[in-house]
Amino acid sequence: MPDDADPPFDLAGCLERVRQRDQDAARDLVEHLYPMVIRIVRSHLPRRVPEEDLAQEVFMKMFTRLAQFQGAVPFPHWVSRIAVTTCIDHLRAQKRRPEFRWADLSENEADVLDAVMTNERDVPANDAMAAHELVHKLLGQLKPDDQLVIRLLDLEQKTIAEIAGITGWNQSLIKVRAFRARRKLRKLFLELQRKEKS
Amino acid sequence: MNRNSDDPRHPWMRLNAAARAVRDPRDTAAPFGFATRIVALAHEHGMVSLLERISLRALGVACLLAIASVAANYQALLPGSGAPIPAHGIHEEFDASPVRDAVTVVLDLAD
Repeated sequence: MPDDADPPFDLAGCLERVRQRDQDAARDLVEHLYPMVIRIVRSHLPRRVPEEDLAQEVFMKMFTRLAQFQGAVPFPHWVSRIAVTTCIDHLRAQKRRPEFRWADLSENEADVLDAVMTNERDVPANDAMAAHELVHKLLGQLKPDDQLVIRLLDLEQKTIAEIAGITGWNQSLIKVRAFRARRKLRKLFLELQRKEKS
Repeated sequence: MNRNSDDPRHPWMRLNAAARAVRDPRDTAAPFGFATRIVALAHEHGMVSLLERISLRALGVACLLAIASVAANYQALLPGSGAPIPAHGIHEEFDASPVRDAVTVVLDLAD
């Protein structure tokens, strides 16, 4: 049976050629890493910032700092940290966070939120998109750093150690941020419930 | 509702569980020309950085030369250093100037 699968990407060789200013290798590197970078950018995308602009910024930083890469961590991890910190810098720059209001929710989102607050059943599969939107709107109420921790912890189900690897923060700081963010979320849900009752 | 928000039955965690089921249908491949643009920008940025580095180095060398020349001529720059120039000497120097303007030459000829 002929093996028509693409050969594995030679990252080490490509990096070596990029260091020797080989532009073809640099293009290959960007195309190889783009899917990973764009997934990070999309999941942490600040409001009103086009995803391609943010991806471009990440790659520009990658090339500018390439000489600093010592190989202590795998190269994709190093790039993913640049992507995460670039997103968080943009989130921090957006000082104002949109207010969370029932009136701004779509009918479906309001129904899903009402359902999760009034009963203990799981969200039906056909309401997953509404739940996804709600999660993003609720995360938008948190401070950027707390938002990042909760998104990685609860939505992407990463461990504290993995988050430490992605963000470069120490584990105690991550736990403190998670605690603070969850307290804020709990408060938010209580407020929503109170508003719904009144 | 009095559950902790890390409790799997808390509304927040149930919303997250549902949200995880959503698969992003968008393409993750780099758009056409994206890699070429990035590489061109990075190359341009690299050239600018090189120029910046050279310029900074040149500025540093210029500053060092300026400091060295001030240090070498420090004595001459001090007030009261060197021989005082007499007031009449200035006039003599002026009169002895070999450079003569055209008007002076014409007046001399008229004499």
